[in-house]
Amino acid sequence: MRQRWKEWVVTCLILCISLLGARYCNDYWAYVGTLAALRAIMAVGYDVLLGYTGFLSMAHGTLFGIGAYACAILTANYHWSFWVAMPVASALTAAIGAMVGAVSFRATGFYFAVLTLGIGLIGFQIFTVSSATGGVQGFVGIPPLPRIAGLDAPPQRYALYVTLVMLAITYLAASAFVRSPLGGACKALREDTTLARSLGIRVGLARMSAFTFSSFFAGAAGALFASISSFIAPESFSVMGVGFDVVVFVIVGGMGTLWGPMLGAALLTFIPELLRVARTFSLLGYGIVLLVFIIFAPKGIAGLVSAATLTKLPRMFGRRHHAERNAPPSTP
Amino acid sequence: MSLLAVKDVTVKFGGVVALENVSLDIEQGTIQGLIGPNGAGKTTLINVVSGLAPASSGRMNFDGHDGGPWPMAEAVRRGIVRTFQQSRAFLGMTVRENLTIAATAGIRRGEIGELIEPLGLAPVLDRIVGELPYSLVRRTGFALAMALRPRLLLLDEPAVGLTSAELSSMAGVIREWNRKGITILLVEHNIRFLMSLADRVAVLDRGHLLFEGTPEQCQQQQEVIDIYLGRRHQHVAH
Repeated sequence: MRQRWKEWVVTCLILCISLLGARYCNDYWAYVGTLAALRAIMAVGYDVLLGYTGFLSMAHGTLFGIGAYACAILTANYHWSFWVAMPVASALTAAIGAMVGAVSFRATGFYFAVLTLGIGLIGFQIFTVSSATGGVQGFVGIPPLPRIAGLDAPPQRYALYVTLVMLAITYLAASAFVRSPLGGACKALREDTTLARSLGIRVGLARMSAFTFSSFFAGAAGALFASISSFIAPESFSVMGVGFDVVVFVIVGGMGTLWGPMLGAALLTFIPELLRVARTFSLLGYGIVLLVFIIFAPKGIAGLVSAATLTKLPRMFGRRHHAERNAPPSTP
Repeated sequence: MSLLAVKDVTVKFGGVVALENVSLDIEQGTIQGLIGPNGAGKTTLINVVSGLAPASSGRMNFDGHDGGPWPMAEAVRRGIVRTFQQSRAFLGMTVRENLTIAATAGIRRGEIGELIEPLGLAPVLDRIVGELPYSLVRRTGFALAMALRPRLLLLDEPAVGLTSAELSSMAGVIREWNRKGITILLVEHNIRFLMSLADRVAVLDRGHLLFEGTPEQCQQQQEVIDIYLGRRHQHVAH
């Protein structure tokens, strides 16, 4: 319980600092920050599935698109308020995600990834041909984010504020999920499915919960993306685009940590933007970052930070090494 | 009063018959030993009772309720809990995380403290299980099973890989669990260890139940001695 309070306080503090920092962004960097926060929302949700449950889904780009189109249709065609449309779009995405999960969890490992890839491609095809989504021409005229009374900021900065608050909510929700009995069940299944079953863990329920949870936040990120962009088109939701990016964010950030994928999303959004000065080489730089992480830091940014915390910081403060403190008894 | 009654259970894997019409009653509050040579079907029987593997035919009654064998989650809910032949625990997590998962993901919650004391896990509660010596990994596996508050505990070769000092400690722990009212089905290759604990012993041979009775009767049964125990055990028994 104390740990949870600490987490809430730290999250709120980081959110306040980020919101204060956002006040000094120009429109361009506010847009880049919003994009990074949107990707972080998706990455945190996706980490619950990949990092904690051990399932690689390639359908999340499409689920992001479902949230975006659902919110666009509800706000533009049916004039719903964004504040109602976003949770409804997220819930719809979660329901569709549950169906995708029900089909995909018939397989495991590599076959699961391929199955979700197939479903993702079908979804992407629907985006390109459906009249409801505007087809390849895209969906135009999505109302902008409605203003909260008293918040008088330029549109880009306002979008950044809203997205950062949503990111904090996503992080706290994901953290609550992974600490819950269902989250424990997911971790147990990732480690040893047979043993987990022998403990009475309901395999289907745990896996489906993780998939549905991650789908919900993919939908929420999509809904925010639609309202911030005002225009959406199928190429924003391709399996090999955003669907692949979110996998990279989680791997580079550090699977199964929640905060690692947030940093991964931020790093891999800001670095390409900073490298725009050498536009020709920006993809090269992105590729090098990926190579360096996979070869030298397979546990991602979170792994690097943990290693530094466990080795350097205790020495700096004159404390014994963590491993020494917890040494096993000399005889078993 | 019988807690578990297995009736005419048959398990076939393709053309191979692993168990054929096996029936076994386990009395409430007892330690039932189960022995047999390799391939006799001991682990298959545990797999069926615990819901890990389906039976081709047959039925099971637990605590007066027909309808078994049940799927694993349902079996655990009813109080049928198992351990594994190979030491099994969540190796990437700490002992504490292992027990928390067992206590929260399962149906019944238990106090971690009372589980770890008899198993000697208190000093290593916050260590990653994969970094611990074999015997402690094994004990973590037992603690996981006990965290579910079993009524019938299926122990699959708990003595494997333990030193003689650890064996004696393990025997004490099993007796203590039994004293607390847990009925135990003990599958074990270490005959001396099993005979010192079991109230009754069943012998399986090539998927058939060969004998069921007290350890003393078992040691005098010529068929068991000839087919399974051999002359070496006669020496041990005397």
